[in-house]
Amino acid sequence: MLPDDTDARLVESLVARDERAFTTLVRAYERRVFALVLRMIGNRAEAEDLAQEVFVQVFKAIGSFRGEAKLSTWIYRIAINLCKNRSKYLRVRHTGQEEQLDALQDHVPMGDAKGASLTRVERPDEMVAGKQVERIVQQAILELEPSFRECLVLRDVEDLSYEEIGAITGLPEGTVKSRIHRARAQLKELVESALGEKIA
Amino acid sequence: MTDPHQPDDDDRDSQAVRDLVKRSLSSGAMSGDAPELVQGVQRRLRRRSRGKFFADGWSTSQNRMSHVLIAVVTLLLVVLAYFALGPVYVR
Repeated sequence: MLPDDTDARLVESLVARDERAFTTLVRAYERRVFALVLRMIGNRAEAEDLAQEVFVQVFKAIGSFRGEAKLSTWIYRIAINLCKNRSKYLRVRHTGQEEQLDALQDHVPMGDAKGASLTRVERPDEMVAGKQVERIVQQAILELEPSFRECLVLRDVEDLSYEEIGAITGLPEGTVKSRIHRARAQLKELVESALGEKIA
Repeated sequence: MTDPHQPDDDDRDSQAVRDLVKRSLSSGAMSGDAPELVQGVQRRLRRRSRGKFFADGWSTSQNRMSHVLIAVVTLLLVVLAYFALGPVYVR
């Protein structure tokens, strides 16, 4: 992400349709946008396609950016809206979640997955178990309502404040908090049911 | 950005779920590096603007280093051509 004053200069150049400035913007935000979209959609190919579409929309709509929110917030808002539309489309087509289903066939207990995604892994079997638990959680997140999922991902993964999430989603802070709370409760239930044990 | 003291984060269950989500959706867990989007984005804009933007499809997708490299190679070719085709001195 770029500092605010750099953002302001960048926006000026973007409004003037400066192609180099736009390339700079894409390079500055592509990793974060792709990561967010992948977390929301759960499919790499779809995420790449959608992340490109986010920047196309940014290019088209930059004239309407008033600077009331941060540029990153505005870009996230576009990304989240496109993710919602794509999720609906994918849900109708019953695709988008197939990629990860195979991995869920033989899951192992949560207790075998201690610290498995940390860099220090002492036992390979723990690492495999950890990966399986991660896939179960990823799958469960995809099963959440998109409006719950977006709040959860923005808060728990992107580490945004409630205020920022409100600015991105257009929801009041109270609603954001409530959705995060309900998303976590739903997720806990889904994961515990898939694992057959309580999350400690 | 983050406000770790918000009320719903104090709950122990919430914290456990939060940690699990964070771990499961970390960059490492989400299979590999982000792809380069620049060229794909430029291609889309070129197509949709019917060539108005990113019309050359080349210069803007190159970085500064490749411009320098191309300049040096071109210069070398000119020098080689000069020596190959230049006047031959006869004593």
